Amino acid sequence: MIEIQRARIDLEAVVDSVRRDDAGAIVLFVGSVRSDDGVRALDYEVYRPMAIASFSSLIDRAKEKFGIREMSIVHRLGRVAVGADSVAIACASVHRTEAFAACAWVMDEVKRIVPIWKTEVADRKDRTRRRR
Amino acid sequence: MRIQVLFFAAYREIVGSRAVSWSTREGLTLEELVDHVLARYPGLAGHRGSMLLAVNHAVVDPDRILKEGDEVALLPPVSGGAP
Repeated sequence: MIEIQRARIDLEAVVDSVRRDDAGAIVLFVGSVRSDDGVRALDYEVYRPMAIASFSSLIDRAKEKFGIREMSIVHRLGRVAVGADSVAIACASVHRTEAFAACAWVMDEVKRIVPIWKTEVADRKDRTRRRR
Repeated sequence: MRIQVLFFAAYREIVGSRAVSWSTREGLTLEELVDHVLARYPGLAGHRGSMLLAVNHAVVDPDRILKEGDEVALLPPVSGGAP
């Protein structure tokens, strides 16, 4: 499952999307919007076709690199309030070690190479800042 | 030939538009196109060092020769953040 969506992320659906009879471990990573210094939301901007191609390529590379069985990535687009989830990555593998490793590696790569940008929305309407 | 040039995040704000249709000569390289774009939008010039360049949704080298209908994207550094 690869999705870039405005709607909230259904975490159970993300987990279910990677379930397989031959996978004894599922790791779910959830990234949530943190309240920093008066921030009340983040606005996410995405170059959608390139982001989807990047997610697909990362899943293929993670399968090759870690031997995992299945992976899903769901990312939010638009405004996401503090406390809400902005990204979910689920990974299924035979044993837990490779699922933890693959999940961590893919999330680092998402932050590093996938064309998604976020802008902080602060309490004061005129105060926005790009978050790195 | 015509090329679609896309701008995102801070670059979109500088240019004031997300997409610009660019009319140019055949055989132009990506780097030459970027020179033209930066000449039209000088506010982007300071970002050149950190700019990623994509053609048809893949990051490519600046010496890539562009073709009719290509979609060129000027990408600011992505969000990053602490692990």
